[in-house]
Parts: sequence; structure tokens; C-alpha cells
Amino acid sequence: MADDIILDIRNVTKTFPGVVALSDVSIQIHHGKIHGLCGENGAGKSTLMKILSGVYPYGSYKGTIFYENRELKLEDRAIRQAIEEGIAIVYQELTLVPSMTVGENIFLGKEPVENGVINWDKLYADTRQILEKYKLDVPPNAVVKTLGVGKMQMVEIAKALSENARILILDEPTSALSESEIDKLMEILETLKEHGVTCIYITHKLEEFFRITDSVTILRDGKTVATNPTSELNHETLVRHMVGREMKERFPKNSRKPGEVIFKVENLVATDPNEPSRKVLDGVNFDLRQGEILGIAGLMGSGRTELVTTIFGEYGNIISGTITMDNKTLNIKSAHDAMLHGISLVPEDRKGQGLVLMQPILRNISLANLDRFAGFFRIDQDAELAAANQQGKNLSIKAANLQDRVDSLSGGNQQKVVIAKWLLTNPQILIMDDPTRGVDVGAKFEIYKLMNELAENGVSIIMISSELEEVIGMSDRIMVMHNGRSGGVLETQGVTQEKIMAIATGIEA
Amino acid sequence: MNLSFELKKRFYDNIQTYTIILAMLAVWILFTILTNGFYLSPQNFSNLFRQMTVTSFLATGMVLVIVTGNIDLSVGKLAGFVSVVVAYFQANVWNTIFPGQPIVAAALSVGIGLLVGALFGVLQGYIISYMRVPAFIVTLGGMFVLRGGILIITQGKTIPANQPGFDQIAQGYLSPAVGWVAALLVVALLFLNMVRSRARKAQYGFEVSNLYMDILGTLFFSALVIVYVVVVNFYNGVQVPVLLLAVTAVIMAYVSNNTRFGRYAYAIGGNREAARLSGINIKRNIFLVFVLMGFLCGVAGIVLASYVGYGTVAAGEGYELDAIAACILGGTSTLGGQGTIFGAMIGGLIMASLTNGLQMLNVPAAYQYVVKGAVLILAVFADVYFKKNR
Ligand SMILES: Nc1ncnc2c1ncn2[C@@H]1O[C@H](COP(=O)(O)OP(=O)(O)OP(=O)(O)O)[C@@H](O)[C@H]1O
Ligand SMILES: [Mg+2]
Repeated sequence: MADDIILDIRNVTKTFPGVVALSDVSIQIHHGKIHGLCGENGAGKSTLMKILSGVYPYGSYKGTIFYENRELKLEDRAIRQAIEEGIAIVYQELTLVPSMTVGENIFLGKEPVENGVINWDKLYADTRQILEKYKLDVPPNAVVKTLGVGKMQMVEIAKALSENARILILDEPTSALSESEIDKLMEILETLKEHGVTCIYITHKLEEFFRITDSVTILRDGKTVATNPTSELNHETLVRHMVGREMKERFPKNSRKPGEVIFKVENLVATDPNEPSRKVLDGVNFDLRQGEILGIAGLMGSGRTELVTTIFGEYGNIISGTITMDNKTLNIKSAHDAMLHGISLVPEDRKGQGLVLMQPILRNISLANLDRFAGFFRIDQDAELAAANQQGKNLSIKAANLQDRVDSLSGGNQQKVVIAKWLLTNPQILIMDDPTRGVDVGAKFEIYKLMNELAENGVSIIMISSELEEVIGMSDRIMVMHNGRSGGVLETQGVTQEKIMAIATGIEA
Repeated sequence: MNLSFELKKRFYDNIQTYTIILAMLAVWILFTILTNGFYLSPQNFSNLFRQMTVTSFLATGMVLVIVTGNIDLSVGKLAGFVSVVVAYFQANVWNTIFPGQPIVAAALSVGIGLLVGALFGVLQGYIISYMRVPAFIVTLGGMFVLRGGILIITQGKTIPANQPGFDQIAQGYLSPAVGWVAALLVVALLFLNMVRSRARKAQYGFEVSNLYMDILGTLFFSALVIVYVVVVNFYNGVQVPVLLLAVTAVIMAYVSNNTRFGRYAYAIGGNREAARLSGINIKRNIFLVFVLMGFLCGVAGIVLASYVGYGTVAAGEGYELDAIAACILGGTSTLGGQGTIFGAMIGGLIMASLTNGLQMLNVPAAYQYVVKGAVLILAVFADVYFKKNR
């Protein structure tokens, strides 16, 4: 075995009841390099990483893994053992304790102890040090649930880094990050690489592979398709290996003509319900036409999510300003109200807000739509199943059976379930908060097509996205937010990423 | 789909149900051996099922309460309170207004019992969901209030409730012939349901499950019903309260799976935030769960009064614990979001089987509690263990 191979995965096969997640996978990972892992939703990427991190311990899979020229056998306290071996992982789904502070989370399970008592001063001092080292702008004593998903993701990364890792596994770390935070992460990875840390990097944002990785392995249906040095790959070959066919465009064409203005937000000012002195929205203005897709861009914390959840009646306390629909002023107090007005929201956090994880896929898809399947009393379960089947097909949800628990799906497929659920509600206005997070390129295209179709049928869509390319590729107009304010609404024709970033960062108004 | 694959899949999907059924059979076999077979004699078998009824009515409602992530500690005392109220009206009120009309009196008693139960449910439910006081506290308080209520009505004395007519509710039996008719009706319904569901599936173009598998399943349940009727017909016949319980359980199982109300309960317990964002009116739903729970306490209280034949100070003491235990034994998750009525009924049967068997062996009451507590913990441990080692 070559000396510079730190991790040698040989013929690994892993099955779940009814599913072969990995079949005979072999990958060699070189010391000190950044190795990309690429594949469609459900290809088996996360499963492989969970084997390396001890979630699926030795004996629950077939095949062998050599780590630093020894066979890696993570057995009894497998997860702890992996950490002690220097294998750290940032999971695809957040694993922080929401009610604890940033510091408590980072040191969870390894709190500095003095005479049997936790030394809180040291804990917070160390936390501050770690955060500063990686230039993460998060207060050490902030309670995690008060942070946005992006910040949580950074805390998650800091937590993994605090372990003195030899191998750092990142499973879609950027899916919830904005461009500037991604830049920051890339810098951190470069620094780690200089320090000799090996990294395995999973993402659906393919350009990141070209930006950061040294080589890329492509998985399809649980099998290794190819491993190539990144320099020998380009976007097209990557996509072809991944989905098994050619994909010319990233965004489907459309020929829609938006109609009259049906929805209008004027001078909206709102405060944080948990902290009434803090303004989260500070003068938002926009209108939405029938059959239009309006993109909302902006940095993390610029108030994008706060805006849509406030419109949906679930977040901010509105201080002033008006929301009108069909020339009538709306006074929406809850999600229930909003839905009665024909407004639906695909929420940002699939695990916390979108899904009932312990329930079957079917019930998750139908949950917001039971009214249409129910008479006065009885739910027509066959109609329910038929509709869910149709959605599953439209969005190519990769599931053995819709009766399986939704948490047995891969992350991207869970996201598709959330989208399926909300598409089924037949809204007049569909608000989507980062809808394609963690979804592979092929399925994204299908979702874009469905969105275009809806818009052509007169549905108005508001789409938040951290991916500027997506915003530009899909929207008719783009509203850029900065510090809780709407920095103007741009026609997508002729707009550039630079222009949007300038407004988002406050350089331009 | 091929038969053996489907069998396997059904087995894995329902492993929890099978574990608990096996546990129940184990309890039965053990007691049958210890009592030289008398345990499963038709008479004891018949009594065993009668004994499970009162707390099992409570358990049917408790499943939904726990599924939504709540708890109701007042159910035992509410059933007890209803039983003394009903006894009071039976003994002191109806015979002065409608002398010599036992059926009218019994019907009115049922009405009063259901009303009292439901009203108390409305009150508790309102405080819990609309005034946002935690269910644990509201129902703990409710328990004290009801204990006082029972003392006020009984004045510390025992009130008879064994009037003819009323006593039939918990002590009546169907004649063997009527029992047979009922059994055949159930079997016919089971088959009709199977055929209709297959037809509907085919109409929607779904993959229809294996015909033999469906027939086998339906035959199995039909056989259970028939064996049950054969055995109890050796004693007095099908017990009226068991029939009432069966009907209640079927309705509750249907409600929990096939209505919005039931589905929402599971979603609220599974992920409150996701449920809220799905436009579900959480307050109303939880309110209704407690109203339903109160109503079922009314049913349990009526059966209780008829069963013991009087209303007493101690009525319903500790029943909430049996009902909760039945749910937990039957696989209801204390964290909310998961649990079935069917499981809770088996859980209730296990609790009753233990009580009955231990009494038969003349085990002192003190040790009966010890055994029941240990079994509860053991059963949940076994469940955790099997799930982990799947
Ligand atoms: N606990 C589980 N039980 C059953 N099946 C599972 C379980 N976990 C994963 N699977 C299945 O294994 C396959 C691979 O899933 P995995 O999560 O590894 O995909 P992935 O490549 O990470 O996809 P994504 O890009 O969507 O994150 C999927 O078909 C998934 O449904
Ligand atoms: Mg994954």
C-alpha cells in the first residue's frame, strides 16, 4: 500500500431492509488531500461517511477499511472511537442541541472538568479561541436555536474542528451557507490542508469540487463509477457520470408572461417576537404579479427568512406597514390563516419544520392536504396514496415504498418530500425558502420545471435562495435584501451576480 | 409480489405488535401452568376479558392523549366520579321521577354519565390548550378536585347502582345464538372490507397485495373471533361490556387512522412545528383530544358503576396508572407521535391477565403491584432491546 494513502476503503457493501445503499465500493484517499464525493440523491454518500464515523459500526457492513495502514474496526463505542482515531464528521443534518449555547455544544461530551465540576470559564474561553481561529462570527454564549441555519452550520464545523481531526468529513456543509460564508469555509479548508488534515468533501454544488478538491469519486446507485483527479474533470463529465446521461442546461426555458399585481407588501416593519426591541424587518417593499417567480437574494441574516415567515403569520410582530392581496389588506395570524388565503410556505429547515420524521413518507406528503382527501369524516386513503405516488414520480423521490419512514430517505430525497407536500396544497402564492437545498442537479432541474409549470398556470412564486445562479436562472425579478430592508427589485434581464452582491453587502443601495 | 417476501416484510413492519402479543401469550401460558389449567377455563377466560374493560376504555383515549405529547392523570378519578354520579341518580333521582321504568332510568344514567365526563374534558381541555397550562398540572389538579367531588356526592357512603336494566351494561351477556350472529356478522364484514379495499386499490391502479396473503390474514382474524365466541359461549356467552369495548376500540382505531383529527394528533406529537406550519389548528386539536378523553372516562365510569353495582369513595382509584401502563405496554411512545389503539388493547389485556392470574394464585395485593411494575419495565426494555438489535 502506498504510504500516502491514509484511508483505503475496500469492497464495502451496506444494506438496509429492502435497500442496497452501497455495493462493493472501493475508494483510496490520499493523505493531506481534499477528496470530493459526488452522486445523486440516495447514491450512498452519507451512508459511506456514517460507516467511517462509526454510526454504522464494524459488522453492520461487509468489506474492509484500512486507516493509516491498520484495519479500522469501530465497534463498541464506535462513534467515540472514531473521534479518538481522529476522524471527525460534520453530518448532513444538524446535530446540535438547540436549547444549549454554542460553547456547550462545541464541548458536548468533552467539557473541561476540574475536581468533577465543569469549568465554565475555560469552556467559554476555549470556545472563543476556536471561533476566533476560524473567524466565525458567533457569540460563544448564544443559545443555538436563536441562530439561523447558516450560523448553526458554522458551529457544527467548529465543533468537528475542535477534535484535532486527522480526517475531516464534511457532508454537504455549504447547502445552507451563503456565498460569503462559503468563501470563509473554503479558506478554513485551505488552512487545514496546509496543516496536513485530510478532508472528504460532499456537495451538490458542483463548482465547489473544482474550487477545492484534488480528486473526486463519483457514486451512482451505491456503486463507484469513477475516481479522477479534479484536473481531468469538467462540469459536463461530472454530471454525465453522476446522472448517467447528458444534461445541457441547468435551468429549463420558460415563456411565461406574468399578469397583474396580486400581492403587495408596503413599508413592512416587524420585530423579533422573542426580543421585541430588535427589528428584523425594517421597511420592506415589493409586489408580486400573477404567474411570476420573484427571487429573494441576500446574505444570511439579511431578513429573507424572517420576511417570509412573517408574511406567513408565524414569526415577527408587525409594527407597521401593510400586506395586501387582491387589493384587500391581509391580517394573517397563523399558518392556518395563510393557507386559507391560498398562501403556502416551503420552510427552510426540513427536519425541524418540514417533516414528521417518524412518520411514513406518504403521511408527510399528505399532511398539509388532508382537507382535499377527507369528506366530513373519513380520509380517502386510496386517493391520498394516488396523489402521493404522483408527486413521488414527478419529483423522482427515491424510495422503496411510500409507507417507509421518511427518515430512512437520503437528505436530498427528504427535501423532495417537503417540496412534494407543499406543491400538493394548490396555492395561489407559493413561498419557497431555499427549496433545492441538498437536491442533486438532475432533480433540481425537475423541480425548476415544476415551478415553471406552476407559474405558467398562474401561480405566483416567491423563492429565496442562497445560490445566486439559481436566483438569476429562475426568477422574473429579484429582490435583494440587506439588513432587514429591501434594496430594490431588479429585472432579471441583464442583472449580474456582482450587482446583486453589491446590494446585498450594502455597497450599493 | 411474492408471498414469502411479503410475509417477511409484514413481519418486520409489525415486529412490535408481535412482541407484545407473544408477551401476552407467555403470561397466559405461565398462569395456565401455575393454576393447573384453570386459568384458561371458559369461566375465568370470560371474567378476564370483563375485567380489562374499564381501564381499557380509558386506554383507548389515553393513546391519543400521549400521542399528542400530553398526559392525563385525572382519568381514573373522572371515571370514578362519573360512576358515583350515575349511582346517585340511579339510587335517588330516577325512581322518584320515573318510578318503575328501569330502562328509561338506565338510558338517562348513561346520558348523564357521558355528559359529565365530556364536560369535565371540555373544562380541562380548554385550560390546557387555550390557557396554556401544562396537561400534567391541569390533570393533576383535576384529580384532586374529582377526589373531593366523589366525597361530596357519596358523603363517604356507598351508593347502590345494581338496579335491573342498568346492571346489564357490565354484567349482561348475549345469548349464545345472538353471540353467533354477531360473530358471523363480524366475519362477513371482515371479508367484505377485504374485497372492497382490493377493488378500490385495483381501481386506482395500485399494486394489489397478494390475494392469498389477504385471505390468510382475514381468515386468521375471523378464526380469532370465532374461537373467542366458542369459548365464552361455554360460559355465559359474549359479555356486553367486552362487546362495547370492542366497538369503541374499532371506532377509535378508525378515528386515529382515517380522520383528519386522528392524523393531526400524530403529527402534533411527532413534530409540533411541522404540524403548525402545515396549517393545523393545534389548540383546537388538543382541546378535542381532551374532550374525547373525558367522554371515554364517561363511558368507563358508567361501565364501572354497573360492573361493581355501586358507587364508592375509592371508585377509579389508580385506574389512570393502569391505563397509562396499557398504552406504554402496547408501544405508545412517551415522547409522543407514536402508538396504536390495538397495541393499547393488548397492553390492557396483559395488565388484566396479570391481575387476574396473581389473584388466582392468592398473591397478596402488595406483591401484585411489584410484579406489575416489574413487567412494565421489562416489557419496555425488551422492546428497546429488540429494536436495537434488528
Ligand atoms: N436508516 C435507513 N434505513 C433504510 N434505508 C436507508 C437508511 N439510510 C439510508 N437509506 C437508504 O440508503 C440509500 C443511500 O442513502 P444516503 O443517505 O447514503 O444517500 P446520499 O448519497 O447521502 O444522498 P443525498 O445526496 O440525498 O444526501 C438511500 O436509498 C436511502 O433511502
Ligand atoms: Mg447524504
